[in-house]
Amino acid sequence: MIEIRNLSKSYGRLQVLSDINEVIQRGQTVVICGPSGSGKSTLLRCINGLEPFQKGEVIVDGISVGDPKTNLYKLRQKIGMVFQRFELYPHMTVLKNITLAPMKVKGVPRKQAEEKAMELLERVGIPEKAGEYPANLSGGQQQRVAIARALAMEPEYMMFDEPTSALDPEMIQEVLEVMMDLAREGMTMLVVTHEMGFAREVADEIIFMDAGRIVERGTGDEFFRNPKHDRTREFLSQILK
Amino acid sequence: MFDAVQRNLPFLMAGFLTNLELAGCALAGGIFLGILVGLGRISSKAWVYRPVTVYVNVLRNIPLILVIFWFYFVMPILVGKTLHPFVSAAVSFIVFEATYFGEIFRAGFQSISRDLVSAAYSTGLTYWQTARYILVPIAFRRMLPSMITQSIITFQDTSLAYVIGLQEMVRRTTIVDSMEVRSIELYSFVAVMFFIVCFIGSRISRHYEEKGRRANVL
Repeated sequence: MIEIRNLSKSYGRLQVLSDINEVIQRGQTVVICGPSGSGKSTLLRCINGLEPFQKGEVIVDGISVGDPKTNLYKLRQKIGMVFQRFELYPHMTVLKNITLAPMKVKGVPRKQAEEKAMELLERVGIPEKAGEYPANLSGGQQQRVAIARALAMEPEYMMFDEPTSALDPEMIQEVLEVMMDLAREGMTMLVVTHEMGFAREVADEIIFMDAGRIVERGTGDEFFRNPKHDRTREFLSQILK
Repeated sequence: MFDAVQRNLPFLMAGFLTNLELAGCALAGGIFLGILVGLGRISSKAWVYRPVTVYVNVLRNIPLILVIFWFYFVMPILVGKTLHPFVSAAVSFIVFEATYFGEIFRAGFQSISRDLVSAAYSTGLTYWQTARYILVPIAFRRMLPSMITQSIITFQDTSLAYVIGLQEMVRRTTIVDSMEVRSIELYSFVAVMFFIVCFIGSRISRHYEEKGRRANVL
């Protein structure tokens, strides 16, 4: 379970997150949407300790992320993350991208790590690309490798930071399908995305953020059918047109 | 016509070997220290960043020849005995070149996006693992051409060690010249020897530049 209580963060005078409260239960998929600069990515980065914050608490399975005594390296093993621009290691093959962390962080033997990596590549549909370098893959393929890389650590949570916004339209679906499968298999997921079809399909909760605040939250249908705030309505009308 | 060179060839070539050895030490030490300097220069910890930055700025704004002199006179005080000019020169070169390599590495490290580092962290890799498996190898590939260029400059600069009496090639040439009085042939020969090594170096640099471009890491 991830609990966020009164989380606030600022860069100097700029308030990027204000008083965020949220609880994510095991097995849930939560979609976060909102205009750019609304603090969605920063929120994700606070949860796995990539960004420090000044006020409030983030607690992952009882471990406080903001506590200076917390071993963040250990905490991050539980939380996989997928980025907008894939961020695969360009100097390593697909297989090495996936096996690096299990081998170096968990000490999994090479053979076992590679077997697991092949299994994951099978699952995201591109086992034939194991020996390729990321530069030779399409965007959609790269993003699926990035998902496999995160899953290789057997995380209990997965966070996606606009995983399809850097993709050509015809590649979005292949990535979303992998994500939907994950959600259906019961992975706990936090997804920053503007793919409202995906949100409608798998989200247990949708959060709308603006200017560092959670403006509105709702379950799929309720969120789309009658948004309570003007700001949400305006945002949805732009995105769904 | 080059008989003066021929007569003194072993003596001169032994000097050239000293240039190569000094360059070897300068590069091994300078690159190793340079990696640490580069990491220090991108550190978010002020107690790391500040002193490293002062070190880099000071050394990069004084001529190498002064650094060579300075170490030659200061090292005996520090270690309590007179040092061989080679040791003194090697220390000067390492300390001096580390700042140049450090800046090359800093640029290389900074060319790596913040999110790539975040991606490595998000899989549970530690700071040192991220540096070792991600940052340094990628930066190294991107920086290889500049590193080779800087190495060539370092090699050329080893001749400056003649000022503290190191018997490298230029020094030995002046000795031979004072006996033979055949300046043009002798110094031309030195120039040719330096040219050959440096020209090969710059070709290697270009090779890696093209290779890096093909591998999409540049």
